[in-house]
Amino acid sequence: MPSFEPVLTRNVGRKEALTLAGYKQLGGYEGLAKALKMDPDAVIEEVKKSGLRGRGGAGFAAGMKWSFIPDRKNKDKARYLVCNADESEPGTFKDRLLMENDPHQLIEGCAICCWAVQAETCYIYIRGEYTKSAAILEQALQEARDAGILGGSAMDSGFKLDMWLHRGAGAYICGEETGMLESLEGKRGQPRVKPPFPAVVGAFGAPTVINNVETLCNVPHILIRGADWFKSIGTDEKNTGPKLYAISGHVERPGTYEYPIGISFREMLDGCGGMWKGGTLKAFIPGGASAPMLPASSIDIKMDFDTVAKAGSMLGSAAVIVMDDQTCLVRAAARLAKFFNHESCGQCTPCREGTNWMELLLSRIEHGEGRPGDPDLLMAVSGNVGGNSLCALGDAAIGPVRSLIKTFRPEVDRHIAEHGCPFPERRFFAEGA
Amino acid sequence: MPKVTINDRTVEVPVGTNVIEAGLLVGVQIPHYCYHPRLSVVGQCRMCLVEVEMGGRKMPKLQAACSTQVEKDGMVVRTDTPEVKEAVKGMMEFLLINHPLDCPICDQAGECGLQDYSFKHGVAFSRFQFEDKRTYPGRERIPLGANVVLNMNRCIQCTRCVRFTNEIAKTGELGFFNRGARTEIGTFPGKELSNPLATCVVDVCPVGALTSTRFRFAERVFYLEKKPSLCTGCEVGCNVTIEHRRGNIKRYKPRANPEVNDYWMCDYGRASFERYKTVPRLTAPRLRGEGGRSVPVSWKEALDAAYKKLRGVDDGFARSGSAPAEGAIAILGSGFLTTEEAHLFAELADRLGTPHRAVAVDLGPEWHIPNLKGGITGREAAPNRRGAELAGLVPGASGMNAKDLLEGDGAARCALLVVADSDFGKAAWDEATVARLRQARTLIVFGWADSPLAKAADLALPLATHAEKTGSFVNVEGRVQRFTPAFPPPGLVRPGVEVLSELLARFDASLSGLTPEEVFAHLAEDVPAFAGLALADLPATGAPLHP
Amino acid sequence: MSEPGKTISPTGEEFSAGTPTLVADRPRLPEAARKEIDALRPRYPTTLAVLLPALHIAQRHWDGWLPDAAIAAVAAELGLPAATVYGVVTFYDLYHQKPVGRHRIRVCTNLSCQLRGSTEIMETLKSELKVDEDEVTPDGRCSYIHFECLGSCDTAPMMMIDDEYHENLSPERARRIVKGLP
Repeated sequence: MPSFEPVLTRNVGRKEALTLAGYKQLGGYEGLAKALKMDPDAVIEEVKKSGLRGRGGAGFAAGMKWSFIPDRKNKDKARYLVCNADESEPGTFKDRLLMENDPHQLIEGCAICCWAVQAETCYIYIRGEYTKSAAILEQALQEARDAGILGGSAMDSGFKLDMWLHRGAGAYICGEETGMLESLEGKRGQPRVKPPFPAVVGAFGAPTVINNVETLCNVPHILIRGADWFKSIGTDEKNTGPKLYAISGHVERPGTYEYPIGISFREMLDGCGGMWKGGTLKAFIPGGASAPMLPASSIDIKMDFDTVAKAGSMLGSAAVIVMDDQTCLVRAAARLAKFFNHESCGQCTPCREGTNWMELLLSRIEHGEGRPGDPDLLMAVSGNVGGNSLCALGDAAIGPVRSLIKTFRPEVDRHIAEHGCPFPERRFFAEGA
Repeated sequence: MPKVTINDRTVEVPVGTNVIEAGLLVGVQIPHYCYHPRLSVVGQCRMCLVEVEMGGRKMPKLQAACSTQVEKDGMVVRTDTPEVKEAVKGMMEFLLINHPLDCPICDQAGECGLQDYSFKHGVAFSRFQFEDKRTYPGRERIPLGANVVLNMNRCIQCTRCVRFTNEIAKTGELGFFNRGARTEIGTFPGKELSNPLATCVVDVCPVGALTSTRFRFAERVFYLEKKPSLCTGCEVGCNVTIEHRRGNIKRYKPRANPEVNDYWMCDYGRASFERYKTVPRLTAPRLRGEGGRSVPVSWKEALDAAYKKLRGVDDGFARSGSAPAEGAIAILGSGFLTTEEAHLFAELADRLGTPHRAVAVDLGPEWHIPNLKGGITGREAAPNRRGAELAGLVPGASGMNAKDLLEGDGAARCALLVVADSDFGKAAWDEATVARLRQARTLIVFGWADSPLAKAADLALPLATHAEKTGSFVNVEGRVQRFTPAFPPPGLVRPGVEVLSELLARFDASLSGLTPEEVFAHLAEDVPAFAGLALADLPATGAPLHP
Repeated sequence: MSEPGKTISPTGEEFSAGTPTLVADRPRLPEAARKEIDALRPRYPTTLAVLLPALHIAQRHWDGWLPDAAIAAVAAELGLPAATVYGVVTFYDLYHQKPVGRHRIRVCTNLSCQLRGSTEIMETLKSELKVDEDEVTPDGRCSYIHFECLGSCDTAPMMMIDDEYHENLSPERARRIVKGLP
């Protein structure tokens, strides 16, 4: 078990980090101070050099995304940063940890990004259910305003910077970039047709950067310790930096763990105490509900973007869900199909009708009414959804279904042949527990 | 301008043209539901997926043609690859799995987007066999307002109707509610779809989710004959298609004319043909005899009698201009006359040398029809007051005008009063006004309606409605538009130009057998506004008159 | 409503222009709510962007749910078509359109929680509160629904009551917590 000096979670557990004074004592806001003395483009270069990739799920190079904002020196044009704190991918809870324990780290990261792309307004779009995080962030934001870190002249630099918390209202699709922009603007969170991309036409028609909480929390550290330091962590120059892994399901100690990106799943499993109650690993999801399930034989896989992608899945939000051999995977996939059906925005035909149909089909199989043609039908239906939908939710929704049928087909066939679930009904609590 | 190649056909298009429009230019029809040339692009239905190659590199995913614009050279589009065909088939399947098999009872059958594309792009069997279709219980026949009924089960969630009320009508009554597979359209509880263009949402709806209350179950569309014409509800002159079955008009639909009504028309105009069916018609010429009773007569008898009366008055008094007041001849037309009919009435007035000629028209509610140039507003409740006046029905020096005749006692001073178009507005149905007009010694009424005015006439001559003849109207913006008959007039009814020409022939043989085209040509010589125009050669979108 | 075939005079009389809204006359937001909303307006370049926060505020003032009158009031306050606001309300899971209990319980039943026993927590609530999900107890105290991932998968199974998370549940713990709600 390699020991790793935490970066993003270094302040977790230190109560003083929740106050501005305490955060500063711990070295906070030095990154912002340094950035404000640099040329904004130089800040972008440093972030580019570090190889930081988006931690929200898409893994897009952050520095490159920032550089797409056009005409940054034009003071008459508006630009925005929207911090994606919508965290609704099943299995993901790392952003909440960061916001509740180290709010100023996020504020500092957002501020540095705003300086880099010359955006005078930042909205932190936080999911409506995160009431505690919202309260903590509101307090931290107010402290920052009172201290002049935010406001008319950030840290006396002359750079005007406003940062506002904007609460969502309960919709997973608002975690999609353009769905978030629509929701921020006061509409139904229905994703937009792309192009144009947010860097060109974003919030309120203006160029906008959208980055995940964890992505932005990395930024102060890159500024202070340098891109080279950041690159020294990880697997290769395309997969760099520290990564938070949110591990849940059938492990002894579920939680958020910070490792260099690219740690193997086996090491990760050991790090959280191994299988729950000593059970046997059957399958695991490496990156949230959209990521195709991997079998136990993939236990040594390196959990970075490219390795997991090559294995036919995705690192996504690094939400790792572990399932033991008492788990019915059909039931698991059906629950995820229900999730996607519930969360589909309903705009485009394949996702609206397809996620509905997939849930109905999986539910039928789960309840013992499956028919021999169903697996092929599921593959055909999911094949028509993927690649044809207006946004990535359609592509995400087919992940569990297709991986179930491709990798765990015998289990599906048993449900059909036996007209029911071959696994005994699982009770987790004893009578009176 | 950049060039784009679609299915091996290349065309040059303005920058920003989307691929659906570019396809139409080369005869490639890319299927679509949510796209509409006048509504915002949403790329939702995913029917227009095509393969796009840019600069030699194929894009990894199929692209929606509606939201893909041609910006520069080098775009190559294919709609006929197996991948595209499979994708479109897939989209059709998705739309049909939850769609009720309502065709036997659905108005849209025969002009249904799902039927049409299903036939062309879909499959003939269903794989959705053991699941229940999604339904919206209680929302199968919801009136959204006075004129539109919603069947939510049939909706394919293309959002055209919602975008219409937001972007064109700008009244925002319709919204898209709920999320995912439960999405539905509707109004805020308690509110109605009540804007003047409401029924346009039925036009834009590709399926039978939105139907017109007035047309529901009225006719199978494949039994309807569809003829181009104009609306006569007001002075905007929206282009319509008259859809009828053997002369029984079942509905109007707007016909696209970017210069006038674009793709739209108002609900009032849409229902304006109903008058032709509910108001009793003059079916034969009717002459009041010595005993005071009106009896049907032949056209020859009727026109002979008319000529005699006109000549009779004429002999002696009317020509001199210093005629005794009770010897006046007046011609009162309406905004429902075609330009050609009005011109012949003016010709008649010239022959009789009377300055008393006018056009009466009512003012109605304001109807505003949007188009790309700010829209057109109409306030006069008839289509052709301008045309009738330009054609010569304007009072001469010291001539009586419409007000004198309708509201004053101008008729009392008339030896003979000719009223053209017996259904002209409130006047023909108002007892007091009819009584006033009846003060003329002789009252001749031309028109299609057997109104109280026609009943009071000494001679009533039945004319064709605008659906039964050729003619032109000049709209509020001074645009002259031609229309042709949808079906012939019934029985003894005849088009106005034919009747007037026969009457005028009795004054001057050279005026016999005139066609509307010939009358228009005459007009073009006499009236500068019409100079250089010919009825049969008018552009399809009409022609602006010279100012 | 409509009368097919009704005669319309050429001047447009008898033509129905629809009936006026049946929602409460002149719906208005409580003064306190208007003040809260006004404080947020300067944060956004458009009025429309205040809508989601405004609906949260209105919902608080209407006992945790949004009757049609509240929706119409927000629409009127922001100058938006009522149908647009209704569309926004119905899109999001946190805006409720029917009465909720004084305490609103949301039990996560997504995969990570299902893997650790969320089904049994739902069963417990049903037996304890004696109503089905999405119903309010007769005394108006509680209502509960299953919910999607609440971002607390490491403490599964869990539930959210009002603004607080209750984590690492067992049926007995859940029962105790719910019993103790005032």
